[in-house]
Amino acid sequence: MKLSMTQAQRKVRTKNLWVLTSLVILIVIVFMISMNTGYIKLSPLEVVRTLFGLGTAQQALVLFDFRLPRIVLSILVGMGLAVSGCVLQGVTRNALADPGILGINAGAGLVVMLFISFFPSTTDTPVFMLPILAFTGAGATAAIIYVLSYKRHEGISPIRLLLTGIAVAAGISSATIILTLRLSPENYQFVATWLAGSIWGSNWKFVLSLLPWLIVLLLFVYLKANVLNVLNLGDLTAIGLGASIEKERRILLAAAVGLAGASVSVSGGIGFVGLVGPHLARQLVGARHQVLIPTAALTGALLVLVADTIGRWILQPSEIPAGIVVAIIGAPYFLYLLSRLQD
Amino acid sequence: MTAFNVDRVAVGYSNSLIIDELSVSIPKGEITTIIGPNGCGKSTLLKTISRILRAKNGSVILDGHDIHRLGTKEVAKKMAILPQTAEAPGGLTVFELVSYGRFPHQKGFVSLKKEDYTYIHWALDVTGLMAFKDRPIEALSGGQRQRVWIAMALAQDTEILILDEPTTYLDMAHQLDILLLLQKLNREEGRTIVMVLHDLNHASRFSDYLIAMKEGALITEGKPEKVMTCSNLQRVFQIDANLMTCPFSANPICLSYQLCQ
Repeated sequence: MKLSMTQAQRKVRTKNLWVLTSLVILIVIVFMISMNTGYIKLSPLEVVRTLFGLGTAQQALVLFDFRLPRIVLSILVGMGLAVSGCVLQGVTRNALADPGILGINAGAGLVVMLFISFFPSTTDTPVFMLPILAFTGAGATAAIIYVLSYKRHEGISPIRLLLTGIAVAAGISSATIILTLRLSPENYQFVATWLAGSIWGSNWKFVLSLLPWLIVLLLFVYLKANVLNVLNLGDLTAIGLGASIEKERRILLAAAVGLAGASVSVSGGIGFVGLVGPHLARQLVGARHQVLIPTAALTGALLVLVADTIGRWILQPSEIPAGIVVAIIGAPYFLYLLSRLQD
Repeated sequence: MTAFNVDRVAVGYSNSLIIDELSVSIPKGEITTIIGPNGCGKSTLLKTISRILRAKNGSVILDGHDIHRLGTKEVAKKMAILPQTAEAPGGLTVFELVSYGRFPHQKGFVSLKKEDYTYIHWALDVTGLMAFKDRPIEALSGGQRQRVWIAMALAQDTEILILDEPTTYLDMAHQLDILLLLQKLNREEGRTIVMVLHDLNHASRFSDYLIAMKEGALITEGKPEKVMTCSNLQRVFQIDANLMTCPFSANPICLSYQLCQ
């Protein structure tokens, strides 16, 4: 008997590697396009030259201080949101769980918005506080949803979780809108753009404030791939296999909330990435989290990067926030998934 | 030798107890089946034995230890559970699902080791699934799917297998197929099997030990010929049964029955 991988399994592994490589290549291509997108036109050659430190001071300024941090942020935010959705979907066994739909993003947004309106960004904002604030908002929202959708002896049914989440999201959005009405016109403009999900924190400070959270949480979630696989089989089977389901579920939900909160704190209200990213990834590589998590991270990154690039390009010189572009793609996708859930 | 000692357990929700003061010993290396009418608490007893439910009072003793005192991974190395409604998430292949059975033996984040492959391949082999191992689970029939779940439980490499109605929703041939597989695992490997079955004739034919329950209480237990009697069936199921001897197992089976007047 063969004791290691069979030929078919090796084929699958090769296919998965191809999927991951293709996604990386696509990201690099969009990265190059995105570097060329904007008010000041740069040829691909100029971009490459500038990247290697051979461009003019103006080109370097545009690339390194404006475009590059924004592109890097798009990639990071896409990864964070998609992996957050991936974890939520695995833990709740619900293909429609997404930090945006469940209102976790909105909760993070509310707290961040409160902070911004009290400490306008013109003053020296402690940027590193933002992920923590967003995490607080996201965590509080997640806790509310958890408590409201939890029923003793039944646990959390996927559909109740979803409905509660949507209701809570609606509530938070209205609260946010009421609050925005009291803002000064300048702040209102700023907050409205933020809520629509523009990658607003386009400088390296924001990248640095997001990066440590993402690295720690993504790594943590990835190391929990085995646990996610087992939780995804349902409570009874997971207990039978010896997983401490309540403990693991809480830890993983906290990680998902942290990823979504940290991402949203710099990107604003980008929804649907946590839904579309993992779903596409599952179509590409299947349900094993060892492969699913990195694939979802890459599809999410690609999605937000494409959305941000389109948003900057389509109505030049003005911009459409990436969140709106993602929603234009994501909302129909959500409806499509919802219609398939019925049967 | 006993696999489990159930000691005066009471199980239930806040103010209604489903099982009260039930004690039973489940023999090691044998096939034990719990029978009883709907809602009699047989699934609850099975869930209590398998630590899915926690008893309000009393204890379940596995290898001399209270089952809730043992770490859940430790227990998972000793017994595997096949729940009644196991459903695989989309996009998994047979091999992948069966490989998840190695979870209690894996430490943190490691991929499958050589030893894991040995057990997975053995489990696929014994359940006759080798040819299907790279297929997606969605593409299999009900009987094949049930085999995949059993294979996953086997890959867990435990002495004890606990199954909640493993034959429900299967046609007659596939029911027998599953039961013969379980019998083979018991006879050839000496594994302890505890299950709930609705079909009395299957229970009698394939079990070494029967536990009959009604309204949360144990009515009678013992070998099939002791439990499958007209008076016991009357008491447990309110039926007048016409019993005969099974030509395959020499245990009693029920030819036909009527409701008690």
